[in-house]
Amino acid sequence: MNCFILSKNNLNDFLAALDSYELFVPIRKNGITVLAHIDDPLAIKLDLTSQPYLVKQTIFPQTESLFTFDRKKGIKAPSFETNHKSQVVFGIRSCDARGFCIIDPVFEEDYPDPYYIHKRKSTILIGLQCIEPFTNCFCTSVGGSPSSTEGLDLQFTDIGESYFVEVITQKGEEIIKVTAPFLSCPDKNQSVKKDEVKKDAEQKVKRKIDVNQLSQKIEQIFEDSVWSDLAEKCISCGICTFFCPTCYCFDIQDEIIRGKGKRLRTWDSCMYSEYTAHASGYNPRPTRMERLRNRIYHKFKQNIDRYGVSGCVGCGRCITLCPSNEDIVENIETLQRL
Amino acid sequence: MDNEKLIAEAKTVLLRGDIVGIIGYQKDSQGFRVSPLFVRDERDIEKLFFSPLCWLSLVNYLTLEKGRLLQKGNPGKKAKVALMVRGCDSKALNQIIIERGLSRDEVYVFGIPCNGVIDLKKIEKMFPDVQGSAQVSENNGFYHVRCNGKSHEVPKEELIADSCKHCVSPNPILYDVLLYTPIVVKQPDYRDIEEIDNMSIAEKWEFWREQFSMCVRCYACRNACPLCYCDDCILERLSPQWIYRSVNMSENLIFHLARSFHHAGRCAGCGECERVCPVNLPLMLLNRKLEKDSKELFHYTVGEKAEQKPLLATFNPQDPDDFIF
Repeated sequence: MNCFILSKNNLNDFLAALDSYELFVPIRKNGITVLAHIDDPLAIKLDLTSQPYLVKQTIFPQTESLFTFDRKKGIKAPSFETNHKSQVVFGIRSCDARGFCIIDPVFEEDYPDPYYIHKRKSTILIGLQCIEPFTNCFCTSVGGSPSSTEGLDLQFTDIGESYFVEVITQKGEEIIKVTAPFLSCPDKNQSVKKDEVKKDAEQKVKRKIDVNQLSQKIEQIFEDSVWSDLAEKCISCGICTFFCPTCYCFDIQDEIIRGKGKRLRTWDSCMYSEYTAHASGYNPRPTRMERLRNRIYHKFKQNIDRYGVSGCVGCGRCITLCPSNEDIVENIETLQRL
Repeated sequence: MDNEKLIAEAKTVLLRGDIVGIIGYQKDSQGFRVSPLFVRDERDIEKLFFSPLCWLSLVNYLTLEKGRLLQKGNPGKKAKVALMVRGCDSKALNQIIIERGLSRDEVYVFGIPCNGVIDLKKIEKMFPDVQGSAQVSENNGFYHVRCNGKSHEVPKEELIADSCKHCVSPNPILYDVLLYTPIVVKQPDYRDIEEIDNMSIAEKWEFWREQFSMCVRCYACRNACPLCYCDDCILERLSPQWIYRSVNMSENLIFHLARSFHHAGRCAGCGECERVCPVNLPLMLLNRKLEKDSKELFHYTVGEKAEQKPLLATFNPQDPDDFIF
């Protein structure tokens, strides 16, 4: 693996050198960290202290036009062959990068989804090593780690005055080529320092869940009354699913104004009662109990059965942001105790 | 605040025989977090508590899924649900009652005069790495915070939730038992609203455009609101589809206008919408603007007394109409 050193003073120049790409960087807005699509990295104040929210937006946008139509001119679908700019997403954490790997097969198998696949292929993910995991992080329990490079093309680690840059993939090499003037070779101390930072971060992940035999367990207790108790405080909003790196459900709707329209897909949430409502009026998941059970089932059983990997990356955002303090770590503990 | 009276009252109430359960607060084992607690038998009573950390409203749980708790043990409609209710929550509950969403005799109210609650985001930022459970009490304009084996005194102003800074109804307007001493009521202060009123149209647009562009339409503001209890919400209507699912400036703007307009003359000021917003939109600015307008134009204050008619159900020939045309 190729490794480089980027002085922190050169970070903005490094980003500015990526002007042939659409660039997304973390910024602070309204008290949270989000990714912003920017033109001039030199004019922007980066926020590299906090994990950015809604990273999946960059590859799986919340609102995406599938094709447009016009009563007179017919249907116009996008072309994926055109010379669209590739995009670079900078400063994401390992959990979000792993999230993409977990949802890839959903969009790639059976019926390949050209919209997702095209964006995924033309996106370069640059990670920033997680140094201070949050209170609710539990990535190490579900096959992840704050130092995981799965899904990333480059990984940055803050080692004090500079970043230690690891090249993970061929796409990462591409970035190195255009930013070479700002990079140097690491010495032994820097390499040791990087390993220390990584090890330290892994030990800082405090919360744990026990996934041993979990999928069998939740299958056995499908009809148990525990689900009603767990769901009692849930208010059925979409926060846990919208902010989850691996929730990919969407709705498809037409939006038409005066004979012209778009067929759009927008994020949907299995926590809404409308999500499973049938046209007949019947709803197979009428209450919060069925919906919460479905969410835990999907992450910890169906995803494992179908793709061989847990559908949860342990980022803890569903816990941190939940309005009524629904806590998936505590929920799993309760289920495992049964 | 001492919880002895709360627990003693809760025990008495549960023994009455006509209460199916108590909805209250419980302290979580981690950090500053507080969860709703659903007490169905005596075992859980000791977990009930109240402190400035009780930031969430419990009124919502009476109407969620048409009141699961109410329906479950309540076939003959003789039983009640007991509920811990702060000043703002009592206004919300009262509003539901005057709109006939619930009947007064379906609820037993533990009234809690409330001096304002702590913004969880602020306190978690101030004390980020709390191991185990933390405690907070209030004394003389300071919060006494105990966490990680240490004590801290923090000025109230630094941690109190923004919506509580404007609270003019700390005392419950309806209750069956009042748990603590009533609190002195402050005068309304709309300076923050006037600041926005005084902006030019272009400035207002820029301000709200910036805010609404953050919205991801998770609908937590609607779902957390005790007064959003309609069985059929316009947001889910497909024919006609009043608001498209697209998350863009046009639809986000209409969503927020619709949401706040539906609370004109109804909003209890509990700040739930603002509290739950994952992208921190200042939604109470919209709600309080409508509150101010209701007061100035129609001399109507939500929850002024328990038996008032809803604003939109009243008409006075002297009502101003010069803004119509």
